[in-house]
Amino acid sequence: MSAIHPSEISFITRHAPFDHMELPHVLWMLQRMRLGYYPEGEVIVSPEQGPVDRFLVIKQGMVHGEQSVAHASEADTWLELAEGECFPLGALLANRRVASVYRAGNDVFCYELSAADFRELIGLSAAFRDFCTRRIANLLEHSKQVIQAQYSNSSVEQQSLASPLSSIIRRTPITCPPDMTVRQVLKTMHEQQVGSMIAVDASGRPLGILTLPDVLERIALPQIDLDQPVINVMSTILETMTPQALAHEAALTMAKHGFRHVLVVENEILVGLVSEKDLFALQRVGLRQIGSTIRNADTIEVLQQGAMDIRNMARNMMAQGVAAEQLTQFISTFNDLLTVRVVELEFMASGLVGTPLLNGVCWMALGSEGRFEQTLNTDQDNAIIFDTPQGMTADQVREKLLPIARRINEKLAMCGFPLCRGEIMASNPQWCLSLEEWKQAFSGWIRGGTPESLLYATIFFDFRALYGAQHLAEDLRLWLARVASDNSRFLYMMAENALRNRPPLGVIRDFVLNDSDRIDLKLNGITPFVDAARIFSLATGVTHTNTIQRLRLSAAKMNLPTSEIEAWIDALLFIQVLRLRHHDESSAKGLSEDALDNLIDPASLNELDRRILKEAFRQARKAQAKLRLDYQL
Amino acid sequence: MKKLLQRWFASPPQLTPQQRTRLDAWRALPAGDTNSTFDHTRYVVVDVETTGLNLLTDTLISIGAVAVVNGRIVLEDSFSVVLQQQESSGKENILVHGITSTAQREGEDPVGALLAFLEYLGKSGLVAFHVAFDETMIRRAMRQYLGLSFKHAWLDLAYVMPALNRTLMGSHRVLDDWIGRFNIRIEARHNALADALATAQLFQIAIAQAHKKNINDFEGLYDLEKTHHWLRDVS
Repeated sequence: MSAIHPSEISFITRHAPFDHMELPHVLWMLQRMRLGYYPEGEVIVSPEQGPVDRFLVIKQGMVHGEQSVAHASEADTWLELAEGECFPLGALLANRRVASVYRAGNDVFCYELSAADFRELIGLSAAFRDFCTRRIANLLEHSKQVIQAQYSNSSVEQQSLASPLSSIIRRTPITCPPDMTVRQVLKTMHEQQVGSMIAVDASGRPLGILTLPDVLERIALPQIDLDQPVINVMSTILETMTPQALAHEAALTMAKHGFRHVLVVENEILVGLVSEKDLFALQRVGLRQIGSTIRNADTIEVLQQGAMDIRNMARNMMAQGVAAEQLTQFISTFNDLLTVRVVELEFMASGLVGTPLLNGVCWMALGSEGRFEQTLNTDQDNAIIFDTPQGMTADQVREKLLPIARRINEKLAMCGFPLCRGEIMASNPQWCLSLEEWKQAFSGWIRGGTPESLLYATIFFDFRALYGAQHLAEDLRLWLARVASDNSRFLYMMAENALRNRPPLGVIRDFVLNDSDRIDLKLNGITPFVDAARIFSLATGVTHTNTIQRLRLSAAKMNLPTSEIEAWIDALLFIQVLRLRHHDESSAKGLSEDALDNLIDPASLNELDRRILKEAFRQARKAQAKLRLDYQL
Repeated sequence: MKKLLQRWFASPPQLTPQQRTRLDAWRALPAGDTNSTFDHTRYVVVDVETTGLNLLTDTLISIGAVAVVNGRIVLEDSFSVVLQQQESSGKENILVHGITSTAQREGEDPVGALLAFLEYLGKSGLVAFHVAFDETMIRRAMRQYLGLSFKHAWLDLAYVMPALNRTLMGSHRVLDDWIGRFNIRIEARHNALADALATAQLFQIAIAQAHKKNINDFEGLYDLEKTHHWLRDVS
């Protein structure tokens, strides 16, 4: 009449890995488990206890893992574990001491299994073994495959933009010595039916390229002497990439600079040529075409078409399983191009081109655009920084610039970037300031510490120059890096503010949901990383605005282990993918751009994604725990 | 009333020789040591479900028990039984504990069930919330079915908890108050085993709290309980 209450079974099988284990194995485990209680602050497992003697699953409460000074390089530091989570896996598997002290954060009850039973269970249950030994990276890889499979119907091509250039190179490139005559080169190109010729030196290093359009432009029309060395008419500014570089990088380079070819080079030696045509086979929309359409657009209609193309391209790339980091990079690059063209056109229309006034104006991107993290439904956040020309006051400059800024904001809105509801736009006199005025505003926020100034700091401190007098933005950036890193009280308040937003994890169920039973991916998933990265970078004087770059660069200065940072980045990117997918699915259902939200129902996710999302939120809490540790919060 | 009289004056129960041997074996077990510290002893936390709340007329339907060994709840060392009823309890009562009429009639033979409980219990100390109720129900069933005068050491968390948490004395009276206070989640309230588990978790908290007051054994908590009885009676 011994009995384990069904509620124990149903509790434990709600959590990974028990949800994937066979029931007899779960029962086997439960029968051998004990339930321990730890009052708040009590040590549950510590290095002093010697090799770990038991496996623990949290039934109730929160457990903190604290970094022990002696093992500062250990990866499992600043943990925060919630209900349903297991620990300490690494130490148990390795049969060693833990590196961190695990302490009860409040009243904690843990199921405990002896180390011997733990090892037996690993032998017994494949699902359990898999969970204990598998890393999040494998899970992410698996998830990516699932996403690709889901989209495979809409994507005809086998190859994707995520494949390395080495797999795209079709044949050895046709080359010639640099002193071969133009006549001879043209003859060879004609005979071999190739669209380009590359001049290489004796050891195979590329020196220049000649393409068919060049023939018209540089040879036929100017009617040059055909017996001169071909190198004289070749383009010698060459864009080279390694065979390991990915197709999308090549596509991005072509789109940015307007090239049609990228040379593939290994140890300086030419190994292949990738043309726009080669990449075109991988995608439906030609990236370079979109790029050049936008760069040369003269009317709002053309720009609107370009904006539409950007969205289609993003969708297409998502279908090909392009990673989130590259995807948002793509979106940002093209949105930048579009914004720059809009600004450029309006500046030209203003009739002020060439005046000292307009020469000292810089258009800045803020918020997610400033961080290169735009998605498809981002509204515009922008500002102007200017240099007050001699003989003018800042107010006079503003008076001239505001109408132009207003037109730019409106044009951008027509291209699908909704006007900012909070009026954080260059057309707002508050955000069209001289360098000195910006420094004053920033100083005020840093000193102030009011909720409003902290909010402004999170938006404005991610600024980046988009168009015009870039040196003004650079000045401001260097000034800010110096001032903010010196102001620990401000950083403390930023950290405190950031910690108010908790990633939703298992207090009642697997996820803590908002009122509508859904999770806000942006607020709860992305923002904790973005906030933490901003504070880390301000504290360490890192001037980058992109969250991933900020994490990588500041981690180095803070002596954070790379594995830790990469896990955070993986987590951030995974949430970003879910968010992009959610937007894509919503627009496919016909929702308009401004109706897109970041709310997802975890029940709608597949099992794997749900598990990774949970792990991703756990990583977000680790980033926050690091903040808490740094600022003693 | 007739039912009650029948029960009081019924002839002593007839046990089979085998059942008699089991009962004697239990009696012969050495008495539990109430002076051992909590981390070296086994306690049994018990909860019962009955046909109602009347100590005189209502009868025992089920027993749920969980063992706390050396301060930890041993999941496998738990006990749950539904006693076979002559007649099933009323509908409203069924709604409370969720044991249907069919389940009640199909329960274990009470003699076997109670012997199994004794064998599970051994001479370990008993812990419950509102001992008076659980103890009366179990003791009466023991006398009725086994002819056993069940005298056992009981610890009452309904007194221990307020004694350890003086500030909560006034506001926390029933089990739900305490398990709510410590966020103990109970997935099936009024199931004897689930209630016993929640009570056992509360007992673990009590042990930890008592430890801070330098009380490390059953005897010490029992003294605390008695003091609190007295305190409550005079106040």
